[in-house]
Amino acid sequence: MPEKYLQKKQSDEKNYENLLIEMDKTAKLLVRRDLELNRVNAELDETIYQLKEDEKKLKEMNEVLEIRLNARTKELRENILSLDGQVKERTRKLENSKIALMNILEDFRRQKILTEDEQKKNLAIINNFPDGLLIFDNHNKLSIINKKAKEYLGISQLDYIYHESWDVENVLEFKSLMKVIGSDIKIVFKEELDMGPELILEVSVQEYSEMSMRYGKFVILHDITREKKVQSLKSEFVSIAAHQLRTPLSAIKWTLTSLLDGDFGALSDDQRKYLGKTNLSNERMINLVDDLLNLSRIEEGRYIYKTSVASIYDLLNTVLKAVELKANEKKIKLSTSIDKHLPDLTIDEEKIKLVMQNLVENAINYSRRESSVKIEVTDDINKNEVIFSIKDSGIGIPEDQRERIFTKFFRAENAVRAETVGSGLGLFIDKNIIEAHKGRIWFESELDKGSTFYFTIPYAKKDEQFFGKF
Amino acid sequence: MAKKIMLIEDEEILSGLLRRKLEENGYEVIVAFDGEEGIEIMKKQRPDLVLLDIVMPKMGGFEVMEEMNKIPELNLKDLPVIIVSNSGQPVEIGKAQELGIRDYLIKTQFDPQEVVDKVKKYCLNE
Repeated sequence: MPEKYLQKKQSDEKNYENLLIEMDKTAKLLVRRDLELNRVNAELDETIYQLKEDEKKLKEMNEVLEIRLNARTKELRENILSLDGQVKERTRKLENSKIALMNILEDFRRQKILTEDEQKKNLAIINNFPDGLLIFDNHNKLSIINKKAKEYLGISQLDYIYHESWDVENVLEFKSLMKVIGSDIKIVFKEELDMGPELILEVSVQEYSEMSMRYGKFVILHDITREKKVQSLKSEFVSIAAHQLRTPLSAIKWTLTSLLDGDFGALSDDQRKYLGKTNLSNERMINLVDDLLNLSRIEEGRYIYKTSVASIYDLLNTVLKAVELKANEKKIKLSTSIDKHLPDLTIDEEKIKLVMQNLVENAINYSRRESSVKIEVTDDINKNEVIFSIKDSGIGIPEDQRERIFTKFFRAENAVRAETVGSGLGLFIDKNIIEAHKGRIWFESELDKGSTFYFTIPYAKKDEQFFGKF
Repeated sequence: MAKKIMLIEDEEILSGLLRRKLEENGYEVIVAFDGEEGIEIMKKQRPDLVLLDIVMPKMGGFEVMEEMNKIPELNLKDLPVIIVSNSGQPVEIGKAQELGIRDYLIKTQFDPQEVVDKVKKYCLNE
């Protein structure tokens, strides 16, 4: 054998020994590894078991969580739904509010247009009103003046009708108007304003307010030129008519009185009787014509003519003389009771005489034969007036007729039935005369017992003008 | 001597009746039917009193008075004039008073006898 081979064998044996040792090592390692593996396996198993336990726990927890989650989710979903509902509700409400607001805005806008339209229309109405209109504010400054007013005052060239506030107190064209209403714009009613022969205006002032809010005053200028012309034509006509009517009446009166005086021979009883009746009728006509003439003069407003200082005694005496005949005819006793120291009064003598005569004549007319009529005149120093009273014991005035006694053309039923003469104008005229003297007239009466008529005449105040127009 | 009354009145009935009454009471009466005639007559014979109507043809009462006042013997200051008329507006009465009348009678209120009474009164005061 070759050494090489032996060496190889020895080497192979060594290698094999080494290998066996290696293998042994490895086997041991493997065993160790195996043990380790087992241990690891066991650990793994443990771990797996743990994991499986954990997994179970997790699963349980998951389930719980899931239940909770579901519950919460359900809760949340419900909340969301309800919130959603609320939001929807709110949104709906907001939408509605918005629509409502829009509608209101739209209404406002429309109202504003309507109001502006209204205002334009109202201004147009004011501006085109057939009477002159001036509107003054609470500070007595002019704020609106319409077309007609401008025309009447001669300022048609003014453009505007509406002004913030214009002080017209010293403006030339307003001077005559200011004379009537004053710079404080007095409340006047139908005062006449003469703007020349072709224009006479009637001025009225009215305060205007609404629910205790005072807005100011409005002044109305009404054209009465035509009315005045008609009135003066009418009164001219009445004057002429009265004269024309009086002409034949005076002829009849004079003829009858001459006949009754016996100027044309003695009269038989019948002749006297019937002529007397005719005369009475004629006197009635004459009185009516007088009353109508007086009436038309009163209505014209130019009735009272002249005032003077008059003695009441003289006045009474004249009246008593005038009614003497009538009183004697009915055998009526006239008595007087007059205060000793009566003042002289400033009056229109003719007219007051007319009143006294009318009242005394009424007393006589409506009294029975052989009764008495008492005239009393007293001086009331406290009230600064003189009181006249005429008392009769005649037919009296029925209760339900009393209110109308002083009205035009009114005669109480019992007066008409008594066939007494009367046009129904006397007391109306008397009232006008007494009131023009700033006095009062009234009566007391009892049916079938008699009446007492009273009137007062105040003392004249210095420089006082009673009668305004004439 | 009887007092002379000048009566200027255009209505015949009235002047007739009044003249009768005046003559019955002892007055001498001259009648004219309008103002013109009246002035002419008065220039020739001055009356003691004039009864004068207002509304008359040719010349009315106011014109008569104005004419009379121009003539010294006929001036109303010394010659009493009484208006006897049917129109009696205050304006007219006032105007007449200014011209100097003694009285203003409205025919429907004074009958002939009453007019004569007034004549007596004013003639007496002469």
